[in-house]
Amino acid sequence: MTDIKTLPSPDNPEEALAAVVALRVMAERLERKAVKKAIEQGWTWSQIAEALGVTKQAAHKRHAASILKKKINKKGGR
Amino acid sequence: MFNRIRLRFQDIKTISKLISGADEQAHINGDEMPGAEHFLLSAFKLPDGSARRVFERAGADPDDFHDAIRKQYNDALNSIGIDEISMESDPEPVNSTKTFHNAKPSGQAVMKALYALKQDDKDIPLLGAHVVGVVADMEHGVAARALRAMGVDQTHITKAVKEELESFH
Repeated sequence: MTDIKTLPSPDNPEEALAAVVALRVMAERLERKAVKKAIEQGWTWSQIAEALGVTKQAAHKRHAASILKKKINKKGGR
Repeated sequence: MFNRIRLRFQDIKTISKLISGADEQAHINGDEMPGAEHFLLSAFKLPDGSARRVFERAGADPDDFHDAIRKQYNDALNSIGIDEISMESDPEPVNSTKTFHNAKPSGQAVMKALYALKQDDKDIPLLGAHVVGVVADMEHGVAARALRAMGVDQTHITKAVKEELESFH
């Protein structure tokens, strides 16, 4: 994992908060991709939830609809 | 009276297009919910064309805004020493089954400000230029940083919005 070498100065909250938002967006995108791959590899929602440190319900609520739609689209040949 | 009713129907159609467009832009760009930046991207696609004209009047290219969003993310990551990786230029779209039901707080702020604007000015339809004006007034957040990243001068935008709206009166 890339080390955070420098942190923005607390005197410059604009820069620090912008970095927080960017990291959050990156984390969300990585989470979606990783969950999709995990499902493709046969992981259960319980395993995914455990790995993410959230409840099974939370993991399912967050990702299931999107993954289900992708499966339907693939079956439909779209 | 009849004109007011006609404008109101027109506004409802515009709002519908604006929201569905913002939703679409968010999903294409890998976000679950639209923020102010997605409302601006959606405004550029509204048929009235006023959002694009405002940008062009202010000497900015509306087509640069999309890349500016990514640039402000990369700049923010660089500021904490993450410079080996950058935001994907083509993120995986969100495959949402939901229609618009919510927006990020910045997206909600855009809708609230538009509603307030329309309460003050009922003589012209809701236009993309209104959306540009609202987003350009935001001091912080992704949209504000993206506008700064593309070197857009807020005062030029505000002036261009005023000129564009005056041409409709």
